[in-house]
Amino acid sequence: MSTAALAHHSFAMFDGEHQLRLTGKVTEFTWQNPHVYIQLEGKDPQDPKAKVRTWTIECANPGILNRAGWKFNMIKKDDQITVVVAPLRTGEPGALLKQVKLADSRIFGNGGPAGLPNISIEDGKPLPAGAKP
Amino acid sequence: MKRQLGSLILAALLGAPACAPKPPVAAVPTFDTKDFGGTWDRYPLPTENSGQDPSVVPRPEPIPPPPLKPEFKDAWDAEQKKIAAANAAGEPIATGYTHCIPDGMPAMMMAMFPMEVLQTQRQVTIIQEAYNQVRRIYVDDTLPAVEDAEPGFWGHSAGKWEGNDFVVETISIKDNVRFRNAPHSAAMRIHERMRMIDADHFENEVTVEDPEYLTGPWSWKWVYQRRPNYKMYEYVCEDNREYADPVTGKARLRIDHK
Repeated sequence: MSTAALAHHSFAMFDGEHQLRLTGKVTEFTWQNPHVYIQLEGKDPQDPKAKVRTWTIECANPGILNRAGWKFNMIKKDDQITVVVAPLRTGEPGALLKQVKLADSRIFGNGGPAGLPNISIEDGKPLPAGAKP
Repeated sequence: MKRQLGSLILAALLGAPACAPKPPVAAVPTFDTKDFGGTWDRYPLPTENSGQDPSVVPRPEPIPPPPLKPEFKDAWDAEQKKIAAANAAGEPIATGYTHCIPDGMPAMMMAMFPMEVLQTQRQVTIIQEAYNQVRRIYVDDTLPAVEDAEPGFWGHSAGKWEGNDFVVETISIKDNVRFRNAPHSAAMRIHERMRMIDADHFENEVTVEDPEYLTGPWSWKWVYQRRPNYKMYEYVCEDNREYADPVTGKARLRIDHK
């Protein structure tokens, strides 16, 4: 069964095959339903041509994230974070979160329905298929 | 039953003498067969790291497609194909969720998120965390005539006990409140038969009847596993940055800062 079929809505607008690793500064963290959002001024740290863009990163909802170990105040404005995301297929700077690494090095997923990262949050290299990050 | 249970517990606490023959296995359940109270997850949860052991209770069969009459089936099939094609193209069609519209009945009983059951002698109240959904089932109540019953997302529900089964009938679901995109008429009736399987699981046999749209009963089973000590979160669908494109109806993500 596909990940999309498990979720209460489709994530098909996001490209789960071509995931990106982004680092940067949080400009806004919105803890609300139906989705939590991170605004991130960031870029791929390993792409010398990459420009900093402000990304709208969709997370699961507060309930799912609480059950996955998140806390409402664990990300704050101006925090430096790293994320692995599935970008919008349109090329706009929007994405679905797969994994986040906080300034204190703790790593969190985005709950079950959003699916797993396929690249490493440490170096952006592909993870072996079926790897449990 | 409580007295028998108490005797068993007392015997267990005191411990039987070593030389005594083993007592016969008690047929009395060690749980209250008429108490659904508490917080519950759907079973099995769809994610592998849910902490549930999916071998404890048989998993329910997949829900069959609605047995729509031929004059409605073609349109439903076409709609399903359209949705699948849009997903495959990476351009999903916006749904009620995009507009912060809750499931209503019977979809809320899929328990997308945790579910809480509050039970008194006269009322069973079921709360679904997603969209703060609440349905109230009045015990031993009489349902109004369909033509007098105001349609709603959760309709009107009356329940009664048949032995250990809590049997519920629900009527008057709004026309635009649909499960699996199945159309229905004002005559649709949702029958549920809830039953404790063991101390930590209960099942809900659901049957939808609608003489105008269905060729016969549409039945499936949902199973729930207790989520002990869980405190439900609030859910106000406050600001969905996913929205429906007004021209195409496709779901889009609002980008606030470009």
